[in-house]
Amino acid sequence: MSTITSTKPKSAGAGASRKAARAVKGANSADGKDGMSVKQNKTKQKMSAAAKREERTGWMFMLPFVLLFLLVFIFPIFYAIYSSFFQQVATGGGAYGGGELVNKFVGFENFKYVITSHDFWAGMGRVMLYTVIQVPLMIISALVLAMLLDSFIVKHVSGFRLGYFLPYAIPGVIAAIIWVYLYNGQISPIVKGLAAIGINVDFFASNMVLASMINITTWTFTGYNMLIFLSALQAIPHELYEAARIDGANGWQIATKIKLPNVRGAALLAMLLSIVGTIQLFNEPQVMQTADPGISRSYTPMMMAFNTSRGFLTPKGDGPSNAIAIVMAIIAGLLAMIYAFVERKVNEQ
Amino acid sequence: MSFAHTTHENSASARAQKKADRRRERSENDLPRSMKPRPVTKTITIIILVFALIYFLFPIYWAIIASTKTPAQLTSSNGLWFAVPFNKLGDAIAANYSVLLGWTRGNFWRWVGNSFLYSTVSAVIGTIVSVMAGYATAKFRFRGKGITIGIIMGAMLMPAALLTIPQYAIFNALHLDNSMLAVIIPCCVSPFGFFLGRVYAQSSVPNELLEAARIDGASESRIFFTIVLRLLAPAMVTIFLFMFVATWNNFLLPLMMLSSENLYPVTLGLYGMVSLAVFNDRGALMMGALLGVLPVIILFLTLQRFWRAGLAAGSVKG
Amino acid sequence: MKWNKGCMTAIAAVGAMCMALAGCGATSGSSSSSSSSSSGGKVELTYIHRLPDKAGMTTVEETVARWNKDHPNIQVKAIHFNGNASDLIKKLETDVKAGNAPDLAQAGYAELPEMFTKGIVEDVTAEASQYKKDFAAGTFDLMSIGGKTYGLPQDTGPLVYFYNKAEFDKLGIEVPKTQSELIDSAKKAAAKGKYIMSFQADEAGNMLTGLAGASGPWYQVENDAWKVDTDTKGSKAVADVYQQLLDSKAATTYPRWDPSFDSALQKGELIGTIGAAWEAPLLMDSMADKGKGDWRVAQVGDWFDNGEKTGPDGGSGVVALKGCEHKAEAMQFLDWFNTQIEDLTSQGLVVAATTGQAKTPSSWSEFYGGQDVMKEFATANSNLGDFSYIPGFSAVAAAMQNKAADVASGKAKASSIFEEAQTTSVNTLKDYGLSVAQ
Repeated sequence: MSTITSTKPKSAGAGASRKAARAVKGANSADGKDGMSVKQNKTKQKMSAAAKREERTGWMFMLPFVLLFLLVFIFPIFYAIYSSFFQQVATGGGAYGGGELVNKFVGFENFKYVITSHDFWAGMGRVMLYTVIQVPLMIISALVLAMLLDSFIVKHVSGFRLGYFLPYAIPGVIAAIIWVYLYNGQISPIVKGLAAIGINVDFFASNMVLASMINITTWTFTGYNMLIFLSALQAIPHELYEAARIDGANGWQIATKIKLPNVRGAALLAMLLSIVGTIQLFNEPQVMQTADPGISRSYTPMMMAFNTSRGFLTPKGDGPSNAIAIVMAIIAGLLAMIYAFVERKVNEQ
Repeated sequence: MSFAHTTHENSASARAQKKADRRRERSENDLPRSMKPRPVTKTITIIILVFALIYFLFPIYWAIIASTKTPAQLTSSNGLWFAVPFNKLGDAIAANYSVLLGWTRGNFWRWVGNSFLYSTVSAVIGTIVSVMAGYATAKFRFRGKGITIGIIMGAMLMPAALLTIPQYAIFNALHLDNSMLAVIIPCCVSPFGFFLGRVYAQSSVPNELLEAARIDGASESRIFFTIVLRLLAPAMVTIFLFMFVATWNNFLLPLMMLSSENLYPVTLGLYGMVSLAVFNDRGALMMGALLGVLPVIILFLTLQRFWRAGLAAGSVKG
Repeated sequence: MKWNKGCMTAIAAVGAMCMALAGCGATSGSSSSSSSSSSGGKVELTYIHRLPDKAGMTTVEETVARWNKDHPNIQVKAIHFNGNASDLIKKLETDVKAGNAPDLAQAGYAELPEMFTKGIVEDVTAEASQYKKDFAAGTFDLMSIGGKTYGLPQDTGPLVYFYNKAEFDKLGIEVPKTQSELIDSAKKAAAKGKYIMSFQADEAGNMLTGLAGASGPWYQVENDAWKVDTDTKGSKAVADVYQQLLDSKAATTYPRWDPSFDSALQKGELIGTIGAAWEAPLLMDSMADKGKGDWRVAQVGDWFDNGEKTGPDGGSGVVALKGCEHKAEAMQFLDWFNTQIEDLTSQGLVVAATTGQAKTPSSWSEFYGGQDVMKEFATANSNLGDFSYIPGFSAVAAAMQNKAADVASGKAKASSIFEEAQTTSVNTLKDYGLSVAQ
């Protein structure tokens, strides 16, 4: 991280993440220069027929996306909020209830449960730790690999590029299954090989298990990020290098003075999206849980939400499960805002 | 940042990249003495790159080896190599293949087919609606545009998995859970796809061309379907690929939504095997994992050019 | 407005595509679980199960085909569910709400109370009572809640002791009869690098409950309120024995379903373990033919203050699901199916039916040194103590497993597993709105 922020931010590349950050705050990012509208509609007082037509056409093109977006994003959010005030309880008395569950309004009971739940905050803590280690590790590795591949030192860039990228084609849950076997002391040639030279590792030990998950995510996504950075690097005009060469710059100087500033934007955006991704950590712990009873059903908040809905945790059902999701979303939103704020501060300096 | 670019931006950038690759492979010899890396730098670089390559490819290599083994061979034989001689390899593969089909009750290829169907349909619909919306926000002025963009971009930062639980409840209420639509509809909507569609429409659709078409009397839909879509074709391939992979890799959504075995995508099917405590044919499972990712890998290899060009455009322009 | 037909057509096309898929989804979704229906006196039933159906077994479909041939008016369709028990319950809950649930479904004894509370089972007291005579009394009762019956029992999972007799002979030990004998023998074996007991964190939720339950129940109903006591003398004994074994490193701590467990068996390191009866063929799998002929099955000794008794671990019946329209026909089929002893035995089940003597499959008796394993299991079956479960037991089992993992790694005491069970049980009942007596 320090290598990125220490360079002088003279590039325009940071725009991507700044733009995303602006969007978080709900700011209007409709820039006037991107369309014919500027030319057509300078006077805003009265809507001309042309403007009305433009408005209609614009919305018609928006409509399919907006409808789907409402169904998939907006309704569920409102439903989640509504449902988080209910719990399913048995009716009809008796030790087993009357054989039916009803929704009972419980006020803020579910939220009280989440906020006071030790398991929830323990899971949140794990995810935070995971994010703080995994995201920089992955971004820096990806950056280093991209820079090395772009350093004119190796031929056959495409072979390396493809090899690094290949894990991304493997779905996260399948990647997790493969690694779970590679962590297994009876099966894995890695564990056996390390044991043979005197290093005994237990990838499922409670102080190792988070690192084991970090490795799975890093393995899957580093190549993808590397490819983004490499593309950004290769978009740098060749003339810049020629000029630097004439000025007598060496490889290191070119890397830090020309290359890094140019991938800064891509790196910051990748970082933001990765943070959002790791908050919802689910696949890796869920798969590892099938192999290791030591991983609890509430190992991460997302797992807790899922297993609450599945009835492995109590209170169970949609209400408490949605309350967990809502508290998580609020925390994720706060984190993204903090990130955007810090990034802007750094940029202003 | 300027968005004034040439019309064939994406294919041009793809071509430029190919050229850059070639130049890079040649350029080592052209470098002046001052820039030639010292041998020690070069050695270290190559060691790092090769080491990384081993790290990324080793699990795949191991999965290939493991896919030929029985449970007993997995624990007892050398993990780095086949447990049987080459001439018996065919039998070992066939044996594990039939174990795989046995565990999946012959559903394996159906699951792969389902994954393919879900990914293709949702990526096609998702690409079209994303590009339409992106084009609308890039080229038209309408009320509520700013706030709409703001909300969609905000959704990009929303951990999507969180929505899966209420989505399930809503689809359940509509009696759409445990159906193909339950997976396809949520996968059709991608704020990131919208974001890319908007960026591309801003940069690769010149206003002059739209004006000219309007003066010629072309309708808006005609302009979109005949001119704009053609200009955005490379961008659409990128969005398509992005959404295809996202759907293929999705696990939590089908896990929540689907309960009928014949609707499972391959990720859920394989997970179902692992989640059974008594399951122990891990070699056969590895074979399933490999066969299950093959379609995605083929897609990557054949469409690599678009994929990379799209990534570059998406990351640089913002 | 220059928005013309072209665009509308495109939108319509997308819409039509969605509709087509909806139709497609709906058909393929419901075809697997179409509700019972009758046309012209012909009744159609669907039965969803989780039986292994592996190679070499008589599959459910084959058994059902025989029924269908003889009963043209009651046609049954068997569906296999690929997933674990909780996934199946979730599916059934969804299907019942949607009104397209199967008629019959496999349900574990531990799961039935929860399924009842969730309202997904159908009362078949009237239709099922005539078949009571075909099943072991205790198991028939396990399919009942509050005096009403919801299905018929299929198999049982009494806990028994599996051991390698050849290795025992070499060490000069026998199957222990008392608690102190068990601990002494375990220590003696451990000194030679052999283990006659295993602590399995991933099975703790069911197995430790069963062992503790052998001597007395945890959950009792008094005046419509639950009395929860997971700190019974049985629980104390289980915690105490395992704690001693773990402290003296005289038991393995490999999870049951991890390859390390199989490997310990294959290497002859683990030579004795408590397991449910249905594990007999699975242990054969785990050992991959090693130790063939050397293994035996014995009753769990008086190790946990249990006297002659043993406890349940798994076992299930088949319930009628809410919305089942042909309850009489469904029970008629079910009684027939659950008494197909030979077929069910081939699936590795210890049947609940008492209509005939289950024969030990030849591959089993080969592995277990010619022993009549089924007879041993039948003895264990008749020794089953009274133990019933609460609604939401899956959450209790999950919490116990998690705690057991801490116990295995030495971070917690074995007794904490039962403390965890107590808290989680009470919370589960309260969260369901059921009353708990203090």
